[in-house]
Amino acid sequence: MIGVVFAIVFLSNQATEQATQEIGNQKFSFQVFDRSKLIKPELLKEFGGSSVTSAAASIEAVKQGRLDAFFAYPEDISTEPVKVYANDVGIFNNGRYEGVARSLLQQSVTADVSANIMTVLSDKITTSTITYKDSQVYNGITEAIVPGLFLVLFYILISTFGNRMLTSTVEEKENRVIEMILTTISARTLIIGKILALVTLGFLQVLVTVAFIVIGYLSVRHQLQLPDVDLSRLAFDPVRIGSGFVLFSLSFLLFTGLLVAIGAASPTAKDAGGFFGVIMILIFGPLYALSVFISTPQAPIVQFLSYFPLTAPIPLLLRNAVGNLQPHEFVIASLIMAVTAGLTLMIAIHIFRYGALEYNRKVSLKEMLTRRA
Amino acid sequence: MTDAIVSIHNFSMSFGTTKVIENLSFEIKRGETFGLLGSNGSGKTTTLRALLGIYTATSGLLHIDGRPFTVDGGIRLGYLPEERGLYKKEKVLDVMMYFGQLKGLSSHDARKQSLAYLERVELGDKAHVRLDKLSGGQQQKVQLGVTILNDPELLILDEPTKGFDPVNRRLLMDIVEEHQSKGTTVIFVSHQMEEVERLCDRIILLKDGAAAAYGSIREVRKNFGGKSLDDIFLEVYGHKEVVNV
Repeated sequence: MIGVVFAIVFLSNQATEQATQEIGNQKFSFQVFDRSKLIKPELLKEFGGSSVTSAAASIEAVKQGRLDAFFAYPEDISTEPVKVYANDVGIFNNGRYEGVARSLLQQSVTADVSANIMTVLSDKITTSTITYKDSQVYNGITEAIVPGLFLVLFYILISTFGNRMLTSTVEEKENRVIEMILTTISARTLIIGKILALVTLGFLQVLVTVAFIVIGYLSVRHQLQLPDVDLSRLAFDPVRIGSGFVLFSLSFLLFTGLLVAIGAASPTAKDAGGFFGVIMILIFGPLYALSVFISTPQAPIVQFLSYFPLTAPIPLLLRNAVGNLQPHEFVIASLIMAVTAGLTLMIAIHIFRYGALEYNRKVSLKEMLTRRA
Repeated sequence: MTDAIVSIHNFSMSFGTTKVIENLSFEIKRGETFGLLGSNGSGKTTTLRALLGIYTATSGLLHIDGRPFTVDGGIRLGYLPEERGLYKKEKVLDVMMYFGQLKGLSSHDARKQSLAYLERVELGDKAHVRLDKLSGGQQQKVQLGVTILNDPELLILDEPTKGFDPVNRRLLMDIVEEHQSKGTTVIFVSHQMEEVERLCDRIILLKDGAAAAYGSIREVRKNFGGKSLDDIFLEVYGHKEVVNV
């Protein structure tokens, strides 16, 4: 699939490039009425055009087909448009007229302007910034890339496997195989086994996807004119990467347990799926406040979203990536998530165990948690 | 020392305010085939589920081999529940091997025994077919195979012949008798009294969650004036009641 996409983009770029070249090579006759006094006569001659002192005759000539195009440059270019009168040669090819009119004016004006002024005026100034932190060179963006991958990984895994996690325990109910299962293995073994299988599958999926992307990039980057990726510029901060891994693992376990618990309480996959949207809002809703997490990490809303377990993954992973997650915040938030993940897992096992035989109805959380039979 | 493999003492079960089982007590001896009888809703399946720990008893003791049942308690159990079901989208052999391995068989043994069983029940050519492509009766045979795959010491069959034609019913009875001859303890739940009389050593007949009859078939029949089990069933439940059902 990725190969097909690459091929389409490549072929499309090639066709456009070819068409642009062909347009550039086409010649046409044109006249110019220059009230701006900016057009240089020698350039006009070079372009193959001629100057006139009246617009009406040239416009009539274009209408009659005796002239391909006529450009009328106004006295004040900043307030009035350059008018182009031309023979229609198709939507795509008509663009050549405007291109020549612009090019003629731009080259006429820039002929007397120094390269430095041109660079400033055309906003092609390049900059090089070096920032320091703790007396060391520090680039916030490159430092954030590797720890930021955990955020991307979390998003991919939950989006790809979230629904599968939700329905993983519904299968036993839907197939009415629950009694045979519960008299063969314990509910805890089953739930933990399912979670481990989902985690393994998730990582395999990510590995395969990344492998395809890397192979595709290396194979067609020149043809598609993709930018070079210089891995030597990436920063590998072991502390931030380590904490990113911890946060990612806890987040993934927490939400896997939550989704499995919801699935265990639902009689069918359809019922379980109804909760998926709510969970996605809780997990990914904080993304809408992305800039706040980076700019004002101590804001009350950021603090709340970072500690509340159901919304914590995105804020914590993002703040860890950009480096504004304090050590004590990391410890407290990790503890909260770990405890919540453990509780969620216990609840999932309990619900699975005691909601197992409710084939036809959704059981409330209160009923499940208090039920013994 | 009792040779009971299953002992149930003063077992009561309520769901909310509804009392389903009241003060039930009975024992099942090791190696015997025990019939658990009763009309729909009399508490047979509830008793089995409580015995197997699927339900938690409101009160009383339910022991298998001297202790409450756990999946790692050491006893080889085969349980065919009344609520039938397997992983319908999976292939027959894969499902049987999956359960075989869950029950402690090696992959090799699970495969070998599964194939042998499928040949026996004339499903050898269905080993690589999805379960949902089989008929209801064929699926039941597969589920029975899953139940006995680990050569259980205690075999619990909840209405095993429901939905079976006479040929397959006979096949199942043969399989049960084979296990009986090996000393397997069998708990047999059925409405088919001729099957009960053929297979069972002792029975208990439940009515409204309590024992209406209990003992060997001979003893029970003697207590009811020599009637057949069918007639005893009708007498206990009242003829009118059964007709209404």
